[in-house]
Amino acid sequence: MIPTPFPDRPRFDARDMVLGRTRYAADRRLAGMLHAMTVPARIAKGTVTSLGAEAALRVPGVVRVLTPDDFPEPPPSAEDGPPPPPPTLTSTVSFRGEPIALVIAESLEAAIEGAEAMRPVYAEEPFQALMDGLEADREEAEPYVAGDAAAVMARAAVTVSETYESPTQHHNPIELMATVAEFRDGRLSVHECSQSVGLAKYAVFAALRIDPAVVDVRSPHVGGSFGQKGLAQRQTALIAQAALLTGRPVKLVMPRGQIFHVAAYRPRSRHRVELGATGEGSMIAARYDAIQEQSRQGFFPAAEYHEAPIRLYGIENYLGTGADIRLDRQAPGWMRAPHAQASCFAFESAVDELAWKLGQDPLAFRLANDAARDPRTGRPLSSRFMRECLEEGARRFGWKERVAQPGSMTAEDGTLIGWGVACGAYPSSMPPAIARLRVGADGRTRFAVSGHEMGQGIRTAIASVLIEELSIDPVGLEIVIADTTSVPQHMTAGSWGTAGCVPATMKAVERMRSAVAELVGGQRIAGNLHRQLAMVRRPSVEVEVSELAPGQKPEALEELKAGGIVAMGPEYPAFTSMSYGAHFVEVRVEPRTRRVRVPRVVSIADCGRVISPRTAASQVYGGVIWGIGASLRERTEVDPRFGGYLNSDIADYVVAVNADIEEIDVGLIDRPDLIANRAGLKGLGQVTMAGVSAAVANAVFHATGKRLRSLPMRIEDLL
Amino acid sequence: MLPDDDAHDALGPEMRDRCLAITRRDTLKGGTAGALALALAGAPAPAAGEPSAAAHPMPVNGERLPIRTSVNGRPVAAEIDTRTSLLDFLRERLDLTGTKKGCDHGQCGACTVHLDGQRVVSCLTLAAKAEGRAVVTIEGVSDGDTLHPMQQAFIDHDALQCGYCTPGQIMAAIACVREGHTGSRDEIREYMSGNICRCGAYVGIVAAIEDAAARMERI
Ligand code: FES
Ligand code: FES
Repeated sequence: MIPTPFPDRPRFDARDMVLGRTRYAADRRLAGMLHAMTVPARIAKGTVTSLGAEAALRVPGVVRVLTPDDFPEPPPSAEDGPPPPPPTLTSTVSFRGEPIALVIAESLEAAIEGAEAMRPVYAEEPFQALMDGLEADREEAEPYVAGDAAAVMARAAVTVSETYESPTQHHNPIELMATVAEFRDGRLSVHECSQSVGLAKYAVFAALRIDPAVVDVRSPHVGGSFGQKGLAQRQTALIAQAALLTGRPVKLVMPRGQIFHVAAYRPRSRHRVELGATGEGSMIAARYDAIQEQSRQGFFPAAEYHEAPIRLYGIENYLGTGADIRLDRQAPGWMRAPHAQASCFAFESAVDELAWKLGQDPLAFRLANDAARDPRTGRPLSSRFMRECLEEGARRFGWKERVAQPGSMTAEDGTLIGWGVACGAYPSSMPPAIARLRVGADGRTRFAVSGHEMGQGIRTAIASVLIEELSIDPVGLEIVIADTTSVPQHMTAGSWGTAGCVPATMKAVERMRSAVAELVGGQRIAGNLHRQLAMVRRPSVEVEVSELAPGQKPEALEELKAGGIVAMGPEYPAFTSMSYGAHFVEVRVEPRTRRVRVPRVVSIADCGRVISPRTAASQVYGGVIWGIGASLRERTEVDPRFGGYLNSDIADYVVAVNADIEEIDVGLIDRPDLIANRAGLKGLGQVTMAGVSAAVANAVFHATGKRLRSLPMRIEDLL
Repeated sequence: MLPDDDAHDALGPEMRDRCLAITRRDTLKGGTAGALALALAGAPAPAAGEPSAAAHPMPVNGERLPIRTSVNGRPVAAEIDTRTSLLDFLRERLDLTGTKKGCDHGQCGACTVHLDGQRVVSCLTLAAKAEGRAVVTIEGVSDGDTLHPMQQAFIDHDALQCGYCTPGQIMAAIACVREGHTGSRDEIREYMSGNICRCGAYVGIVAAIEDAAARMERI
């Protein structure tokens, strides 16, 4: 039976947001609170021989300066335990901007003045900040292999082989990284903007060597994250320690210039893609190598550039290799559509180049190369509606009006018009979950589950299920997420947030319904659950459920409780589960300035069943806008002379502003995937961006005849 | 303020000793921390009807300056560090945390408030400049529980995701309407481009402003 679509519903927390009442980490203002400021290293590599903290201590209002000596030795790293927590303060500098001291003061002004008064002395060492020239120092990743790409490539009638590049990029959520810590009544409470309160908690107790049982971390609202706040953050344990050592609450709001240097980022990557097709246009082989910049200790996996491309089409012979080039930089990490932003740009550009070479329409070419199963595993796909995305997008966009020849569509003033299409895919993963639901006779409902709200609308999705499927009073509904004092919390990332809570919510709803039915017995009581409980004189009913990903072993629940990251996917024992999207882009290139504008985008996504239509649509808008920003604007400039980043603020790191965005039409296929999970949903946040940059590049080619293979595509590339 | 010894037991022997050794040393030294803790505890509560003092007293540092201003229609008198930005004054001294810090450099618009009816980025406005002027923040926009048409329009068009840029967007949007810059979608986009929304809610923001502009004219 196909479940009925969920109705449109306003965002659960929108009212508080428009009133300015939503509390983010930095909004905690506690009595007697101190302010902290980190002191970043001004060298890229070497040691701090003296901190020069005396000048800071002379600043009126400065209470303390924390140094590496104020922290315990880092814990020994266990073989198969969790990754070690981030280092705390260090005198051994491994990248520019690494925190070497923390100034704590009575006011923010004094903390800043104190941090600026520090006069550290360094012994510098040579370093490498850029991968250019180091390409031979490859640290190989596990390849992705299907069939025999080399042999079949040799038989291909038509091939393309090109190199594409995606730059270093920073997430830049508008919320700055912030931590507030307080030690009171024997408990250390940390408020932080985090996609993983579990990992934040671990970072605190492991780095400070304190009892996990006394540490609480909460992150009820995050002001955007996009992967930046997924792993444990560098400042968390510093602020926790500051609160312990001073006995007073301490707050740090890290300046954006520092965040650029300590937070994760999208690593620069270079992609060599070789595709082979039959003369009729059937893609039969792909060889694809991706290298990326990497830190000395970093583990953002180069292999995963292949997760999406190998499953975009039914190419039976695929050899995907990848490698790290290690540099003296902070660790790169997961940034919206990690891997897929760069790899779908490269792969979908190459697919377009191949279609052009074959003289085929790029839409028809893609439709003709549809996949029936996962070439990597040979197993079936849980669902795949990429064809539907392409067809619906083409219809809305008016693709059939397209004239194939580049440069043939122009406006009256000579503006060049280009239409491009590209697809994206992203793994649909799922973590285990434990959820607790309590309905009271007093009209209240409290639901606790794992999840973090970064703006994707996770509370709205949960509320959608509870309000739609359980007869409760929406006004009394409280949703508790991102709180280590409630149920076990899994990291919310990788587009698995909804899968990590909504199936569990549905299970809890079923359990609650039968629990109340049992209580009420055969009686027919009019009214909602609260009323029914009141009638049978029962103050409340609580149920607890657990949910596993398909084929996941029950031990995963124990790992979840221990704070592990145990999401499965996209490869499950019996199938592979991917989300898909198709983007249609119109660009206009001004004849004299060569400025590129994007007046029109149609983007259609297949995320299985849509749980919250309104917030899901907003996710697609956001992904498309991220794609436009990455295509035309965003690049972090690495400084080869001194390490660090030259454009470390959002005036110089240019993101899309309102005037860059025009008409965007989004659609969701909304076909449940009941093989993937009981809710029929698949992930959405990342796939919305995957492929947008290729669609823009393909449109620029169609407008100008010029193929741009390096992001961002700027005016100077088209002159 | 000496953390009590028992509380620190939970931290384990190493941290316990570390914390206690340090706090004792500082307290014995009679450092600023101890002195200030007393000062904070003794801060007087404002009497009703009087201009309210800042919720949090000014810490000892820098050049001081007394200011009198009005925030959301209420008189405020406070002594400030002359370097304090209006943004930090609102957030850290008055507990008006609806106004957000996204860059502190005038680049993002998250801190937008109205100063005598004009939109300004409060991070680049010194608190001292609010002397004798009227500040309106996101907390002062609704009429009690009745939302301003712009706030309602932001909900209706889902013109927000994480909500972090939202207070600044709404303050800028209300000003944008009052300035008469809502003649076309392009004009709205242009005049709203000082407010970055990294979540990418621009489509909804433009729709919300078009919608609210029509309703605001009817008021
Ligand atoms: S915080 Fe003021 S403009 Fe960004
Ligand atoms: S809603 Fe997140 S930055 Fe605008």
